[in-house]
Amino acid sequence: MDAVERLQRLLSIVSWVATQPDGAPIDEVARRFGVAERELLDDLGLASMVGADSPDHDDMPIEFFVEDGRIHVFLYSFRQPLRLSPEQGLALVAAGAGLLAVPGTDPDGPLARGLAKLAGVLGIPVSESVEVDFGQVHPPTFHRLQEAVDQHRQVELDYYAFGRDERTQRVVDPWLVFQDGGEWYLAGHCHRAKGERVFRVDRIEGLAVLDTSFTPPAEPPTRSSYRAGDHEPRVTLDLDADARWVAESYPLDDAAELDGGRLRVVLPVSARPWLERLLVRLGPTGALRSADEGIPADLAAEVATRILRRYGAV
Amino acid sequence: MAGASGVSKMERLLGLLTVLIDAPRPLTAAEIQARVPGYPTDLTAFRGAFERDKVAVRTMIGVPLAPQAVPGTDPPAVGYRLHPRDAHLADPGLEPEERAALHLAASAVRIGGLEATGGLWKLGGAPGPGGSEAPVADVGELPADRNLVRFFTAIADQRDVTFAYRGEQRRVAPHRLDYVRGRWYVTGHDHGRDDTRHFRLDRIDGDVETGDRSEHRRRSGGGAGVRLAPWELGGDASVTARLLVDADQRPNALATARGARVVEERDDGSVVLEMRVTSRAGFRSFVLGFLDHAEVLGPPELRDDVVAWLAATIDRVEGR
Repeated sequence: MDAVERLQRLLSIVSWVATQPDGAPIDEVARRFGVAERELLDDLGLASMVGADSPDHDDMPIEFFVEDGRIHVFLYSFRQPLRLSPEQGLALVAAGAGLLAVPGTDPDGPLARGLAKLAGVLGIPVSESVEVDFGQVHPPTFHRLQEAVDQHRQVELDYYAFGRDERTQRVVDPWLVFQDGGEWYLAGHCHRAKGERVFRVDRIEGLAVLDTSFTPPAEPPTRSSYRAGDHEPRVTLDLDADARWVAESYPLDDAAELDGGRLRVVLPVSARPWLERLLVRLGPTGALRSADEGIPADLAAEVATRILRRYGAV
Repeated sequence: MAGASGVSKMERLLGLLTVLIDAPRPLTAAEIQARVPGYPTDLTAFRGAFERDKVAVRTMIGVPLAPQAVPGTDPPAVGYRLHPRDAHLADPGLEPEERAALHLAASAVRIGGLEATGGLWKLGGAPGPGGSEAPVADVGELPADRNLVRFFTAIADQRDVTFAYRGEQRRVAPHRLDYVRGRWYVTGHDHGRDDTRHFRLDRIDGDVETGDRSEHRRRSGGGAGVRLAPWELGGDASVTARLLVDADQRPNALATARGARVVEERDDGSVVLEMRVTSRAGFRSFVLGFLDHAEVLGPPELRDDVVAWLAATIDRVEGR
């Protein structure tokens, strides 16, 4: 910890202890501010020496003594803590906005009230200045899932696998509910796939918490919605300038600039329907340049024809 | 660590804050050097140390230690002081449960590279044990953008900002920051367009400059825009689309299509949704996400748009 951090902590400590009518126990102060007792007393000792040899200051800004294990502080300056820096203000406000976005947080509870007060001293109307959105989930599903994680109970999911475009029933050991890229995910061991899988919570269409329990893994799972597999086939796409969003939306193995703002990217294909969707969304703004075995070169045309058939246009 | 004078940097900074806060008049650098224990006597070494301390003060309170004229000096001298209002945090009057909730938030949600601990100390440190808060989902870390703090400061100070966006210089009175779909957006009044605009922070080129106090008043509700669905994010003439979705895609469609109305439920389990579309490209992309499990029923221009797009897709493949 550098001098700047230490001083902020020290001035926070003295202004808080000074508000306690009978001082405060050393151990409580140490715990409250996350500092070792020895270091706490050393810092207070240093602070109380400031001004001692200055001819221009009659008062030393900070006096303290310790009696019966309690710290007593008298202040001539620094009665209030230092102002929050913008970084500190933003860190707190954004964290608060983030927790408010978790399903089940009381929108009028202590957090919301605390944030409103904090916003007041920062000069911003908080609810209108910083907001976090983690996407829509069904709150009861979210809660029962979270409970199952906490209680180590298996769940049975009725799950729509968007990438594979199929609906499945599966029993899962739920390890962790987490947020990534603005969506909620469940990581766990899937007994159907016999391996670790990640599920988007908003695509869980049915949930049953089972009586069977499981042993959670010793190592917490990775908080990433994407599990890259080396075994997945790769495709190379040429993207026009207005199709460059693909590079921002999906994990790439490789990207190279072409002329006219075009981009050539190589990316893994987690499932065939996923690639089909990407190709028809790209439409005439992108082209499948090459692909690993098993992916036809004219896949985009094949899918487009299939959809056109539905419109009676083929 | 203690320097040559035996005074540590922390003591020196504390001494500096003590003389600067509420000094009766701005103090010159020479006065600061004389009054604050721990500064080197050598002028060059002092200047270096004082410059570093100015940065430290700014880090601690976020307010620059700016030189001011010292009244009554001839020739005019510049000096430094800190107004207590700028140096200190006004008491927000947090109740213990509110402080506990903020602590919980800071431990559940982290913003990449931004440290919440210092702010929590200033708000009175960790609350006492025995808090009855139920454990919440560990949200993890939200990414920070390098310009996030600058925008936040500009919002609080109600200042204009200028930056380059999609090859154009913009001057904006920022109102709010939104984290939506995994990205940060800033919403504000774009002076060049005289209208509210949303900007994705990761698409801003280069640095953001903070300018004058903004004359544009903050308007509420300006952030709803970034929450709009893809088919609403555009300036096309508004039309009401009718979309038939097969039974197997029905739950997925209802979960994704925020703001759509179910106008018909068919016997085979399929549904007809109605939605207001102001972005044809966004609507087309949404519809094609269902592959051949959905069909645009109308109006004809939207249906034709999808058909033409798919025909162009085939042409591009076959024209290689």
